[in-house]
Amino acid sequence: MTTSSTPSGVLTAGDEQLVRNSHHHLRAGATAMLPIMAAYVPFALLVGAAVADSSNPAAAWLATWAIYGGAAHLAVLDVLAQGSGWLTAVAVGVLVNARLVAYAAGMAPGWRSAPLRQRAGAAVMLTDAPWTLARARVDGHRSYYFGAASALFLGWPVLVSLGVLVGGWFSAAPVVGLLPALTLGVVVTSQLQERPVVAAAVSAAVTAALTAGLSAGISLLLCAAVGVTSGVVAEWFR
Amino acid sequence: MSAEAQVGIAVFAVGAASLLFRLVPLLFAPRLPDRAAQQATWAGLAVLAGVTVRSVLNHHDQALVTGSVNLAPLVAAFAVGMGLSLAYRGRSVLVCVAVGIAGYVGISTVLLAL
Repeated sequence: MTTSSTPSGVLTAGDEQLVRNSHHHLRAGATAMLPIMAAYVPFALLVGAAVADSSNPAAAWLATWAIYGGAAHLAVLDVLAQGSGWLTAVAVGVLVNARLVAYAAGMAPGWRSAPLRQRAGAAVMLTDAPWTLARARVDGHRSYYFGAASALFLGWPVLVSLGVLVGGWFSAAPVVGLLPALTLGVVVTSQLQERPVVAAAVSAAVTAALTAGLSAGISLLLCAAVGVTSGVVAEWFR
Repeated sequence: MSAEAQVGIAVFAVGAASLLFRLVPLLFAPRLPDRAAQQATWAGLAVLAGVTVRSVLNHHDQALVTGSVNLAPLVAAFAVGMGLSLAYRGRSVLVCVAVGIAGYVGISTVLLAL
């Protein structure tokens, strides 16, 4: 959003409307993220419990922002806890988070005209939920994205910290393990409106079922490859 | 190498790689073709679909294991299916997740009572 100003530095009425709209979209994004964060609470507590059990809790906690991905974070700490060494942990973490390339590339068209600083800020806070939420937004999608992403970027470390204190007993309930997947699955399902997207999702689901025994990183990379291929084929027949 | 140092190195390395994954496509956004971006979006949604399915199939609940039969993935599939069917009909995230969880708890309770 760019604004002009009169010689006295006061915004024009049009500029004020732009600013109000931007704030509206920011708030809408943050509000849309709240129920997703609520569903993420048990998973955050699980991650917090793993941080508390780590042999280096300070570094493990810093991963909340450094890695900024619950699945990769948990996978890295689990591998290290099993004594498999830092190299294996890095390989697993990198594979699990490789999907971020797809998210960032998918965002690119909508952010081409954004200043470099905005693109960098959007990149730092990029993860599954804000990407999926903002994808369906047409109006004010950048401000909406920043609202959603900022809410999670600030809230996630707080939730994980809570997990460090109390996560052990809460995460013992088996149903808790379903919450992150249920949340993400719901957000993806709401976007199944175009044939290539449906083809990508369905083929990836089948691939995930067939590769359930493989490591998460490899399985998800296969899902991505099969999903893209199916999407391309479906588009040929559209 | 000490366990503490290994945690620090792993966190730093995965963090640096994750930041590059996020930054590079967006920093070079003006040069990225629309077609590549669209296919990247399909890849992203495919990954999320894969995460959902993997979580269901790898779901573990000791209470739902009877002998050699593990009913946990089946119950998880029903529960997640309930939530996703509501999502397809346009219900909010909270409602869908709440119904999914309630479904899991309800089905588990019935199975345990049998």
